[in-house]
Amino acid sequence: MASRPDDSVELLMTGPGCRSVREQSASEASEDAMLVDAARDGDRAAFGRLYDQYARMVHGVLLAKVPLAEVDDLVQDVFVLALSRLAALRETGRFGAWLAAIARNRANDYHRRSLPEDQLVDDTSEKDIGNCGDQESQAAAILDAIRNLPAAYRETLILRLVEGMTGPEIAARTGMTHGSVRVNLHRGMQQLRARLSSIPNSNGPQQETK
Amino acid sequence: MDTGNNQTGSKPLARNDKYLWDGSGDPDPEIRKLERLLGRFRHHGPVAVFPKIVPDRRWQFLRWRMRRFPVLATAAAVVAIAAVTFLAYERKPAVTVVGWDVSRLAGTPRIGRNTISGKETSRLRIGQILETDQQSRASLRAKDTGHIEVEQSTRLRLMTMGAGLNRIALDRGTIHVHIWAPPGRFVVDTPSAVTVDLGCAYTLQVDDSGAGIVRTSLGWVGFKLNDHESFIPAGAACATRPKVGPGTPYFEDASATFRAALARFDFEDSTPQQRTDDLAILLAASRQRDALTLWHLLTRAEEGQRVLVYERLRGLAPPPAGVTKEGILRLDQPTLDLWWNELGFDDISVWRHWERSWSGPGKPVLAK
Repeated sequence: MASRPDDSVELLMTGPGCRSVREQSASEASEDAMLVDAARDGDRAAFGRLYDQYARMVHGVLLAKVPLAEVDDLVQDVFVLALSRLAALRETGRFGAWLAAIARNRANDYHRRSLPEDQLVDDTSEKDIGNCGDQESQAAAILDAIRNLPAAYRETLILRLVEGMTGPEIAARTGMTHGSVRVNLHRGMQQLRARLSSIPNSNGPQQETK
Repeated sequence: MDTGNNQTGSKPLARNDKYLWDGSGDPDPEIRKLERLLGRFRHHGPVAVFPKIVPDRRWQFLRWRMRRFPVLATAAAVVAIAAVTFLAYERKPAVTVVGWDVSRLAGTPRIGRNTISGKETSRLRIGQILETDQQSRASLRAKDTGHIEVEQSTRLRLMTMGAGLNRIALDRGTIHVHIWAPPGRFVVDTPSAVTVDLGCAYTLQVDDSGAGIVRTSLGWVGFKLNDHESFIPAGAACATRPKVGPGTPYFEDASATFRAALARFDFEDSTPQQRTDDLAILLAASRQRDALTLWHLLTRAEEGQRVLVYERLRGLAPPPAGVTKEGILRLDQPTLDLWWNELGFDDISVWRHWERSWSGPGKPVLAK
């Protein structure tokens, strides 16, 4: 199988407005690079700013794979790990993609180290939407439906619907291309709708009355 | 995660997609409801507490002192030059000892000529060979990379080790690998393919002829030789042969008929008619789970056979929107990737993102 050429980013950014998108990404990358450099020099406030900017992304990436109760602790783990390895980061402008890879790896590691009986499901996740009497359990059931989507879609949908990030923000934070985020959101929503509507007596996601 | 779907990426957005994309345009009531319900899971974690960052400030302090005392600075410079000159003539440059910690599990494994016995821990350095005989087994550990158990009658070499890439060559034998380094950072060369960790645990065997097999128990593994790629998720296996490269991955619970036909299709020097017959057998014996194998066969089947594979795969795992028959038959990479992502194994963009020149055999490189 032939490999895809490395210019896929360019191919995906040929539409109107791609220039400003590229400039915006470049400026964010440059700001990240400055913060990473400052953090390497011992500036904890700079690392704090990186945390502020990326905590939601890390939280979303982890939430796509590990139980809700574990996510906050793992977010902390991911940033501590990143801090300890910061000196090894060569492309400082790609801090987001690097951090996302650490978060995904930490989530995989969580499952490797868990005993089979601990590789659970959230206590609310097995509830059927049809039996949900309150919004909390309905939300848990929808989250569970998202987590059962193909890997390509669940992470992007969680960043959008749970963490409240926009598509361009997801692309900037994770290092994915705009085109990929857009496709993942679009197709992920299609699959989510199909899954939720296939559950008998489902009352979600019905349209909210404006 | 890049799905690689260029066509959809440039499609004009519908009104609701615009809201989904960046929150602009008319709010989509359905999405707003999802946002409201799911917002309760949003990150509201406590303010993070990080350990103090301690950069190396010694040289800055020294510079301040030197500005204050110019005579001292000159004297220090003379002493420093003399010391460097002396060391350059008298001593060989120091080499940082990087490597994997090796401990004995059974018998007496060897690193080069040195045997490892008792509870002692040795270090496998770059360029060195670890060998076990019929009675011995060993364990390798690298803090930031992972853990490897080395079975009997195995010979492996450490090729490179650094922040970006860890590379081992397995000449023969069996290793059980658990990796916690980021995907794409740990690579094992075998005589007929390169194994790339994509966040996983797996077992790799190589026999004396150079033929090998990888069995994935967690995550997934990439198997590559030049442009020949195989992706092996948990529960699946993939064989490789010298001069041929990786075969087609398959789930080990597939029927014996399916596996036998696949082995003949991949590695036997068959006539075109025999290959067509073998393909027909394995297509007929394929289950939904065998979509893994069929997806790989799209790129391995002859042009005339590819349509048969497409039709069977379509029956087992309907292609998503954006995947056309024409795109598949001409082996359009983004289209193939889009269908792969639909099969639910893992996101192929992880591989595309980390892909680099792993194909060539590694050469020992001393770490600086």
